Amino acid sequence: MSGASRVSRAVDFNATGYGKGLFDVNASGQMTRCSHSRVAIAACAAVALFTGSSAEAHMGTGLAGGFESGFKHPLTGADHLLAMVSVGLWGAFLGRPLIFALPVVFPAVMVAGAVMGMLGVPLPPVEMGVALSVSVLGGCIAFSVNAPVWLASLIVAIFAIFHGYAHGKELPSAADPVGYSLGFVLATGSLHVLGIGIGLLNHRPGGVRVTRGLGVLIAGAGVWFLYKAVAF
Amino acid sequence: MRGGALPPALLCASVGLALAFAPRRAWLPSLVTVTLTTVVFAALPIPANWLEGVFLGCWASVAATAAMVHLPRDMAVSGAVGLSFNAGLWSGAEVALAGSRLDIAKALVCVLMLVPAAFVVDWRAPIIVKVVASWLLAVALLAATLQVLPVTPGYLPDHMD
Repeated sequence: MSGASRVSRAVDFNATGYGKGLFDVNASGQMTRCSHSRVAIAACAAVALFTGSSAEAHMGTGLAGGFESGFKHPLTGADHLLAMVSVGLWGAFLGRPLIFALPVVFPAVMVAGAVMGMLGVPLPPVEMGVALSVSVLGGCIAFSVNAPVWLASLIVAIFAIFHGYAHGKELPSAADPVGYSLGFVLATGSLHVLGIGIGLLNHRPGGVRVTRGLGVLIAGAGVWFLYKAVAF
Repeated sequence: MRGGALPPALLCASVGLALAFAPRRAWLPSLVTVTLTTVVFAALPIPANWLEGVFLGCWASVAATAAMVHLPRDMAVSGAVGLSFNAGLWSGAEVALAGSRLDIAKALVCVLMLVPAAFVVDWRAPIIVKVVASWLLAVALLAATLQVLPVTPGYLPDHMD
């Protein structure tokens, strides 16, 4: 099955006029707007991969603040950041209804995971679960896995429990847990939206290759996080 | 720290999102209801030992109101006004116990989320409002859960303090 046919269920963004003209080919060989977009996305991916460490999002120490601290939290850990972007990006591959259902399922199930974390319910090593989420979701994007609604929701829900668990353990120590939760959930949702935005590339010439390439990078980063979680 | 404008602001924001799915003739009575109820309850002498219950009611209302956007049919006018009364009641009570008069204004401004939400619904993209409502739902459930769980939240002194 080709990459193009695998995304056949995706939303027809061309029909909505999104990004019209962004991907015109410049026959003269100069850098086109398409190239600029790809360079920008690759740069974002590189920044995401190399500016944070896997442990940064889940250190769980010194949570002094409220909204700002919560908002920054998912953005400063590469594992959480990549997983959230992957949820949106995979949703964009899968199309309706999952393009919007996955960003609804994730925070809802994340709450259940957070409660488990607050109660200290035993769970397999959370760092491994979070790392696994990055590699599996990246793999789903890389291979354009066309999962049915129930399976995609289940995969995302299972990983949401791990992410929620990690943050639930930290939440009680935040001085302003409501502000912290609000910032955290908004940042998470914004990362989903960013993933969906990157997924718009799927309907541009060569876009599927770019997004699948990002999936390969994300999966690779997930394997690295997994290695770190197991080795250290 | 958990009082102030944030809980009633989130409740008012969820009312704004829910009203986007109500008929337009429900908007004015609902906005008047939520405003008046908030102001009245904020002025009432509510016993200080009701604080925990008021916070819980506030978060439960945020969750319930945000969940209303997922109703299969549009909300009735009476339902919209009832939802607004409930929001005003808990917002006002929260401000009376743990806020200031300025917090009333800050909270009520958030009802104006109705404007962009209604625009998005008219634009035939109600799912965007539903996604945002799910974020509010998640925050409310987290805040409410934290209150009833046997953990020591950061805003309370622990055994070291």
